[in-house]
Amino acid sequence: MQKKKTNNGTFEAAYKKLEKILAELENNIEEKSLDDILNNYQEGLNLLKICREKLSEAELKIEKIKNET
Amino acid sequence: MHEDLKMELFKDIEEEQPLTVSELTDYVKEILEGNFKSVYVVGEISGFKKAFPSGHSYFVIKDDDSQISCNLWSFRYNQINFKPEDGKRVLIRGSIRLYKLRGTYSIDVATIEEFGLGELQAKFEKLKKKLSEEGLFHEKYKKPLPDFPERIAIITSESGAVIEDFKKVASKRYPSVKLFLYPVMVQGKGSADSICSAIEKANRSQNDYDIIVIARGGGAIEDLWSFNEESVARSVFKSKIPIVSAVGHEIDFTICDFVADLRAPTPSAAAEMILPDSTELFRNLDLSQGNLHKYVKSRLRNLSETLDNIEKSYSFNKPNDIISEFSLRIDEIGDEIFGIISNRLKYLNQNLENTGKHLVNSFRSQNEKIRIYKRNFRELDSRLNHLIKERIKLIRSDINQKNKLLENLNPDTILRRGFTYITKNDIILSRKVNAEIKDYVKIHFSDGEVGAEIHDYN
Repeated sequence: MQKKKTNNGTFEAAYKKLEKILAELENNIEEKSLDDILNNYQEGLNLLKICREKLSEAELKIEKIKNET
Repeated sequence: MHEDLKMELFKDIEEEQPLTVSELTDYVKEILEGNFKSVYVVGEISGFKKAFPSGHSYFVIKDDDSQISCNLWSFRYNQINFKPEDGKRVLIRGSIRLYKLRGTYSIDVATIEEFGLGELQAKFEKLKKKLSEEGLFHEKYKKPLPDFPERIAIITSESGAVIEDFKKVASKRYPSVKLFLYPVMVQGKGSADSICSAIEKANRSQNDYDIIVIARGGGAIEDLWSFNEESVARSVFKSKIPIVSAVGHEIDFTICDFVADLRAPTPSAAAEMILPDSTELFRNLDLSQGNLHKYVKSRLRNLSETLDNIEKSYSFNKPNDIISEFSLRIDEIGDEIFGIISNRLKYLNQNLENTGKHLVNSFRSQNEKIRIYKRNFRELDSRLNHLIKERIKLIRSDINQKNKLLENLNPDTILRRGFTYITKNDIILSRKVNAEIKDYVKIHFSDGEVGAEIHDYN
């Protein structure tokens, strides 16, 4: 049911991934290799960018669904 | 009482005495008001007027052929829960009052309610009970709403404030959401069907909605009635997509509200409840960015400090020191082990000592007992000795006495006093008859014997 919801295209997916990375870094940073940390950092920055873009997206869109059945 | 009145009335007529207008009015008033203290009447409101400043309302209720004036006092007006308007069918309870000044009568309204309302209310309660018993309102069927909905289907009237209100809140809070309007009739014949088919259509749509909102502004119970239809309730329950019901105002509850996954008091409130606030989200993102930098930076600083420390460290530069430190460590370990073992030994020693002490103590107590026995024994012994000695003394004195007695009886003693005895052939001659002439006898003295011959016999 919740199919394409999980792709990175949505705000939700990006936001939740970001939260996950932050939680990881906050709690387990000492067990991570330097490579991992830097990858996480890079990914976090990307996700922040995606989130901000999604939120800033244009005006509210509304579409009328035609009433023929 | 009425009989009395009649009598009085006829009496006056018989006597051909005219009544004054007031008198007649009083009679009529008494009869009328006395007989119609409580009336219950249905009719349609017409000519509704609210008088100022009193706040009392005046209107007539009518049917096709008749009409009656009605007075609704201001304090009662405030107790009714609908707006009395011309054309509304109402149920009135009250009493008949005659207005003397004009000679007209009217109904003094005690309660007024919309006709048919009770019927609708009963229908509502019945359906609510039925669906509740079927479990349609149960918490376990409530679907969770997504935190960040992307696409929302709105089932409401195309015209009117509802969709505008929703749009306004949505564009302020979360403009990235996409709204899809499913225009429906929200009241009147066929409205329930159009709502049901919109719900089904939204569920079948390729748009993959996160939420369906069913909305309508406030209204009287009969205006909101399509949201109390069983068919709508069942469509809402069947929906795979979570449904938010925002029908009417705060105080209006519909069956649709109960079945929906979430009930919002108004359409604007629905938008507030289901959409995140992007201002807040931006703030969160800033905060997240700050944290991201902070965590990574402090870790990197830590790591580089550690590196510095290693590089600068004494041991890193002087391997010999490492070795000597290591051997120190070994010594330390040796000491530790020795310490442990000697402690253990001390402990065992202590145990042994304790056991020994215990044994000695028990010996001591045995000795003590023996000493007591001995003392007791000695006491007994001396007492026994004493008794024996006393006894011996007694026996001795007894013997001495008996000795003396014996000595007195000794023949030697008697002989020493001058007595003698005579034996004949070593047999004591104690009688004369045994002595014969010429017998040789021995005369015994204390200091010896002499032989003699008996020659005189008288």
